[in-house]
Parts: sequence; C-alpha cells; structure tokens
Amino acid sequence: MNKYRLKSKLILILFALNLVSCVNLKSVGDFSVSSIESIKNYELIDYSFLQHCLDRCADEAIRLYEIKRAQECSCALYEDADSVAQVFYNTIEGYFVGLGELPNNELTTYSSEALLGVLTTEEVGPLQIDERTASAFSSLSNTLLRASTDFYRRKKLAKYIEDANEPIQILLDKFEVIISTNLKGELRFRRERLYAYYMDMKMSRTVLSDYEKGQATADYYHALEEIKRKEMELEVFGKSLNEIAKGHQVLYENRNELSVKSLQNLAKGYSSNIKALISEFKKLNH
Amino acid sequence: MANLTSDQAKQLSDNFYYLGMAIGDFRYENWDKLSLEENKELSETQNMLLQTGEDILAFSTTLIMDEAVDSLAKINSIASEIQGTIKKLSNIQKGLNVAAAILILGVAIVNRDTKGIGDSIKGVYDTWKAPIR
Repeated sequence: MNKYRLKSKLILILFALNLVSCVNLKSVGDFSVSSIESIKNYELIDYSFLQHCLDRCADEAIRLYEIKRAQECSCALYEDADSVAQVFYNTIEGYFVGLGELPNNELTTYSSEALLGVLTTEEVGPLQIDERTASAFSSLSNTLLRASTDFYRRKKLAKYIEDANEPIQILLDKFEVIISTNLKGELRFRRERLYAYYMDMKMSRTVLSDYEKGQATADYYHALEEIKRKEMELEVFGKSLNEIAKGHQVLYENRNELSVKSLQNLAKGYSSNIKALISEFKKLNH
Repeated sequence: MANLTSDQAKQLSDNFYYLGMAIGDFRYENWDKLSLEENKELSETQNMLLQTGEDILAFSTTLIMDEAVDSLAKINSIASEIQGTIKKLSNIQKGLNVAAAILILGVAIVNRDTKGIGDSIKGVYDTWKAPIR
C-alpha cells in the first residue's frame, strides 16, 4: 500500500513539474530567430552611402565627359555614414542573437545518461534498484533541473526584455530612418541627376538618330528601374525593422507571462510578418 | 547656437532637393529663352544644390549616432549580460557530469572495490578537468 502511494505521489509530482517545465520560451526564441534572419539582410543590401558617392562621381564624370586615369572621389562623409549604420546593425544584431540563444532548449536539456547508468547498476551498495525506478528518478531529476533553469531563464529573459525595450525601440527606429529615409533618400538625388542628364541631352538635341534616341530613352528607364528596385529593397528592410520593434514591444508588455499561449500566437504573428518581409527582400535582392 | 539635429538636417536636405528640381524645371521650360551661358550656369547651380542635399543627408546619418549614443551603450551592456547568463547555463552540464562521476566513486567505496575506487577517482578528476562545452 505504501509502495503504491509513493508511486502515485511520484507520478503526481512528475506531472506537475512537467507542466511547469513545459512552459516554453518558444515564442521568444522563434521571434528572435526571425528577427536575426531579417536583420542580417542588411549585409545583402545592394547599396551603401559609399556606393552612392562613387556612383555620383561616375555620373559627374559622364556628364562632364571627364576621362582621368583614376576616378577622383571625396567620400569621407559617406564612409562615416556607413560606419554609423554598421554600428547600429552590430548592436541590434548582437542583442537579438543573445535573446535567441537564451530560450534555446538545448542549453538546459542536460544529459542524464551518466546518472541513469549509475542508477541501473545492478548493485548500488546494499540497494537494488530496478531499471524502471531508476528511469523515473532520472526523469524526475531532469525535470527538476529543467524546471529550475526554465524559471531562471524566464526571470532573466523578462528582465532583459524589460531593460532593453526602451533602447532597442530607439535603435530600431533610428536604424530604420538611416536605411529607409537617408540611404533611400540618396537615391532620389540620383534619379533627379539622371533626369537632368537625359533631359539636357534631349533639349540640346545632341542625340540625332532615331536609334540613338531610342537607346538613350531605354538606358534612362533601365537606370530608373534599377533605382526603383533598390528603393524597394531598402523600404522592405525598413518595414521589417518596424515589425521587429512591434514584436519586441509585445514581448515587453507580456514579459511576465512569457509562457502564455496568447503571447505565443501574438509573437508568431510578428514572426510570420517578418518572414514574409524576408522573402520579399530576397526576391528584390536577386 | 543649438546643434543641428538629424531631423533638421533631413529637412534641409529636402529643401536642397526641391530647389534643384525647381531649377531644372525652370531650365527646361525656358530652354529657348536662356542663353547658352545662362543655361550652363543654372545647370551648374542645379548640380551643386543636388550634391549639397546629398551631402547633408549623409551628414544627417552621422548626427543620428550622437542622438542614440546612450541607447547603443545600454543595449551593448545587456547583450554582454545575456552572454554571461548563457555561459552559466552551459556550466550546469559540467556539474551534472561531475555529480555522476562522484556517484560512481561512492558506489565503488560502498562496494569496497579497490580497483573501482582508483578508476572512479580518475573519472572524477577527468570530468572535472574537462573543458566546458
């Protein structure tokens, strides 16, 4: 009878602990993984401030029909702007990598095989432990460990999310401005310069044959198309930064209930929005 | 005088862009009325306005850095704290391995197994010395 009670109690304890340890931090982990993937697209962006400066120099040389042995460009200001963007990128990426690693279950799925091996030894001193009981003990110890570390991780995660929310919102917002307003804004100037170049050509009637006229028009629209593609790429990247910021805000608002199902669904929504933008970005990037 | 903000720099850049655009439109609308020299001069002015606008926009980006310096520092320190926590969690596996090795030693002692005791002590030592994964 006593043996039966002990077994029932053990089962009950295991069940309760499993409920606690099953509290998963998947919502934070999945959201961070999507965020990292999206942020890393920065490295794939087909444009930079420096590139813009070099393109401008080339456009100027073409406009003035300047042929030199090497292109002379002063781009220090543009290189500085790229360095600033790089600092934002590194900082934001570093934070999300950490945030993504902490809820990773592999960190707390400790192997209890060694312990199990010892417990199933036929003779543990004067005691005899059968394999099933040993397995139950092992499972219990693992669950206890998982429960304690899950609790620790939840507590830590909640603290990090709380501390990071305000600065990360600022950084994501500023990074979005750098990419979708400033870098994209530079392209607007390039578009205007091209317009002036081809309009001057048209108005001064320097192009005479129909073929040349057609070629010049085709070149102009081809260049515009390329600018448009780059602008869209930058815009999509900017949108994904906004989605990441919104998702982080939701995590912050629910930081003390990181295991709640509704939060998992909410975070999933942001993760899939980010994933959709990642795939849109990739289409534009090819 | 207060320092220029990134927003103000962006607005300035917009102004230069629209001015450059307006001069271009003026040139094309009055193409036949303008002398070659006047047209050239206006074209150069248009070009300079566009270049200045571009430069201001790049400069605006460097101003953002000054405005976000506190947030950058905060996030960097939180990221290192997270790394520290992860390291602590990884050490738990080592603790478990050492506990299992000590348990084997305990069993050997209880069994008065001299060879087992020798082997177990080596086992505990090796596990303890093993690098943290």
